[in-house]
Amino acid sequence: MSRLSAPHFPERAVRDRARKGTACAFPPITSYGTTLFGASGPGAAHPAPGDLIDAARLVPPIFMDLRLEKLIELGREPMYGDVELSTEIGGFTARAPLFVSAFGSTQIACSDLGMAVSRQAGRLGIPMVIGENIVPVNGYGRIGACTPLSLLGRVRAYGEELEDGLGGVAIQQSTEDADAEVWNLVYSDPSAQPLLNSGRLAFELKVGQGAKPGIGGMTVLPRTAAAAVSEQYTTDQVFGDAASYLRSSSPGTYTEEILRQQIHLMRNNFPRARVWVKLHPGRDVRRAAAVAWRAGAHSVTVDGAEGGTGWAPTSFMDHVGLPLGECLRAIGRPPSCLLATGRMWEGTRAVKCLALGARGVGLGRAALLAVDEDPDFGLQRLVECMELEMRMLISALGKYEPGALGLEDLYEGGAYVDDPREALAGYDASLR
Amino acid sequence: MVDVSGAMPGGADGRVLPPQPWEHLTSETTRTVLRIQHHIVRSARRYLDDQGFVELLPPVIGPVTDPGIRGAKQVDVDYYGHRYKLMTSAFVYKQASLLAFDKIVYVAPNVRLEPLETCSTNRHLAEFHQLDIEVAGATREQIMELAEGVVGHVVDAVVSDMGDELAALGRDVTALSSWRSRPFARVPHAEAVRDLVEGGHMQDGGAEIDWAGEEILSIKADGPFFLTDYPKGSRCFLEKEDPDQPGVLRTFDLIMPGGYGEVISGGEREAHYPTLITRMRETGENPSKYGWYLQLSRHGVPSSSGFGLGLQRLTRFVAGLEYVWQAAAFPKVPGVVSP
Repeated sequence: MSRLSAPHFPERAVRDRARKGTACAFPPITSYGTTLFGASGPGAAHPAPGDLIDAARLVPPIFMDLRLEKLIELGREPMYGDVELSTEIGGFTARAPLFVSAFGSTQIACSDLGMAVSRQAGRLGIPMVIGENIVPVNGYGRIGACTPLSLLGRVRAYGEELEDGLGGVAIQQSTEDADAEVWNLVYSDPSAQPLLNSGRLAFELKVGQGAKPGIGGMTVLPRTAAAAVSEQYTTDQVFGDAASYLRSSSPGTYTEEILRQQIHLMRNNFPRARVWVKLHPGRDVRRAAAVAWRAGAHSVTVDGAEGGTGWAPTSFMDHVGLPLGECLRAIGRPPSCLLATGRMWEGTRAVKCLALGARGVGLGRAALLAVDEDPDFGLQRLVECMELEMRMLISALGKYEPGALGLEDLYEGGAYVDDPREALAGYDASLR
Repeated sequence: MVDVSGAMPGGADGRVLPPQPWEHLTSETTRTVLRIQHHIVRSARRYLDDQGFVELLPPVIGPVTDPGIRGAKQVDVDYYGHRYKLMTSAFVYKQASLLAFDKIVYVAPNVRLEPLETCSTNRHLAEFHQLDIEVAGATREQIMELAEGVVGHVVDAVVSDMGDELAALGRDVTALSSWRSRPFARVPHAEAVRDLVEGGHMQDGGAEIDWAGEEILSIKADGPFFLTDYPKGSRCFLEKEDPDQPGVLRTFDLIMPGGYGEVISGGEREAHYPTLITRMRETGENPSKYGWYLQLSRHGVPSSSGFGLGLQRLTRFVAGLEYVWQAAAFPKVPGVVSP
């Protein structure tokens, strides 16, 4: 037992590091596979300070010109049920301004929960993103048995429940996925043709993620699985435990020109697929979004620092990256589809993001928790509850579609949120 | 419900698919076409031999192959537990081969799992052969002259030596000779896009000319022409960016007239290591899988230009065939399960 003590210092954490070393840069290894990570926030057991979105209030006006327009259109007083939530998201038609964000290849996402999310998202008719690293880790599912965890297994589960004209699938490809040519594989595969032919296939370029801006995806693998992927990924024994390895993807190097040209190449090589881009909450997020839209991205997703389901170093979760609200304020009025993700689970945060300029919001941890609660209807009920809240909130603001929301609806820190910035420009084919 | 069962496309849209091998290989038409193809390959080899080219036997598999093939999937090969690829084109090997000889040629087999929509273009095969050429120190203009020379020579050889075969196929010989006295025209990509858009075809100015657009240009043309200066973002990292026109690549395609479309793709190559690795990222590639090639370029590879000439496509043009599969003994139309 040491004789030293330091009551005004995080003594216990220092002693933990002195005993366990690099394992302390991560949450306890025993929580992997059973815990969803990401930044804490209001409602969490140990909440971090809320962001602009949490702090802002939705403030209905008293005089409502748009309600009068709706009254004239309907011939009766409008109610919350008259809010039309159906929205175009990244080239897809969604029944509400919602989509399911990517989970990647972590153990939780690759379990039956990932399949349950696919089925329910398909049934709901909301777009779904399938994360990176699925093919190198779980396979595509074309030759041999189509396992449920494979990429094709997830696409099938979604498509089997999907109604005509609704939803769509966006498929990510990481730097390591590029070796497996995930996009080329999907684009040339017979099973993807119905989605492609109905304009419901997108490819999402993942530039970064909210939970760990600036570094790549991470999972924990047992030794044998780590050995199997060691040629494609960095594997590192950091847990002080010979049986578990940290598997890291590279974050990929981006400059303005690299992002611009990768989007051009996606448009060139996959002309019938939509192009989505996912950005981490970097300090230059406005500039990056501007480059993506001008290069021809159909949709840009900003993953706020509150985002993330997967394994991440504790140092990143509450300390790295811009909060989502600040990202949305930095971007200002988007020229094309802007999507927002980061701690979404109920209607108010969603409606505030829409007022800040987002076209739709993504469900990550909430979707996984909902299907964990009920694999058949959990996500459906969660979404139905959000839809009701969104209808009531939007109608209270005297508006009847999400696209009508604006900064005038938000009040924060003694003032209405204003937008002094110039609007960004959209796609320009002449800029090469 | 969306059908994601993966059913293969049939010939229900009126396309004629290849018959069974016993029928195809015993057909007099097939035999005549393959004899013409034999003469094309033989004439091209002679022409290049006279110009000092060394024919090398091409690699078939490797850790990397040409990624710049729009929408097509590479075929993976399990090479002692490592992911290798069948060649979509041996482009990096061509450049490396210049360490041995200044002028090289392969007659190379290539496999590309093309997007299924290409089965309706009549000119895509999942397995095909190229005359693959690379010349150290050559500029794009010099390599275009060579391409013009090879194509002119083999067309002349077939016209002068195989009149009976062309007649048996009903090929109008004036379609092969009317343009021989004129040099091939040069049309920059931006000009072709303008033409297409003015004619009502929605062509993306930032992308390769799409297949329908290429056919329109080919039908309008009164002779073969070079389509030059593709925009950056439409071709692979090896194609050199024009230092005088940022955003424009020093590339070219050779388009044959009569709706037959592209038979050659080529350009001036990038050989400068920092530019190469940056361009790899711009094309979404993972530089680590190009380890051996990047090491080679750090040591220095000669500047060069080159091209690939599709032999089945050139045969289709010379013989006047409706479908490119008619110019293959064992045709593989994209998405169609074939021997």
